Amino acid sequence: MPTDQLSLTFAALADPTRRGILARLAQGEATVKELAEPFAVSLPAISRHLRVLEGAGLITRRRDAQSRPTSLRIEGLSEADEWMANCRAVWEGRVRRLDAHLDAMLKGETDE
Amino acid sequence: MSDSTRAPAEVRITHVFDAPPEAVFAAWTDPDQVAKWWAPDGYEIPPESVEIEPRVGGRFDLVMVESSGTGRFPYRSEIIEISEPELIVLGAEAILEAGIEETVTRVVFEADGGRTRMTITSGPYTDEIRRNAEAGWVDLIANLEKLLAA
Repeated sequence: MPTDQLSLTFAALADPTRRGILARLAQGEATVKELAEPFAVSLPAISRHLRVLEGAGLITRRRDAQSRPTSLRIEGLSEADEWMANCRAVWEGRVRRLDAHLDAMLKGETDE
Repeated sequence: MSDSTRAPAEVRITHVFDAPPEAVFAAWTDPDQVAKWWAPDGYEIPPESVEIEPRVGGRFDLVMVESSGTGRFPYRSEIIEISEPELIVLGAEAILEAGIEETVTRVVFEADGGRTRMTITSGPYTDEIRRNAEAGWVDLIANLEKLLAA
């Protein structure tokens, strides 16, 4: 996945209204009007949030109906999750090597 | 940036080293030592590529080179906070062609007898996430995946 796409995903997830929309969509497809109901914001504001989520690959919107029902795109979340898992693996490796390095240092074995 | 404003959008790892904080801190700020442990498996760090200026605003730069190949992956960061021997915070630049995101890595060293408890938190903080410390998307991902798997 291109890195700029991942940045879009993280930025999209950084907003509480957009996370609320995703949580609602986890229960199933919804229209813009249905998505707007729990929030004290206008329909155009919800539409803007949906454009951000769509740009981040987190939702898909059907084009064949006037109400443009929206659904969750789980792949978008998996990609962000995978990035974090890789990040964790790199740091765990560093901690292991640092541990071995410090052991060797304290035993005076690093002066090859 | 205190713990209370820390976004949960990050990796968090704690480890206790059988060495005093001064030794662990030095392993993070002495270029020759950093070159020995920073590179992921399959990579090496030429010691001359490591530049560390241990002060706020100083550089923390190095290059990871593929052991069997020609790939070169720079890590370029600025020291955001530093306090010997208890804290170092690195703000890494995004390097798009290497698939590296902008991240903030915070490393806390706490004395524990003659040992050191080191806690690393590292995350992909975009400016928007920085402003919204309650990001909480890691939990959201876990919850959504659970829901969808059900």
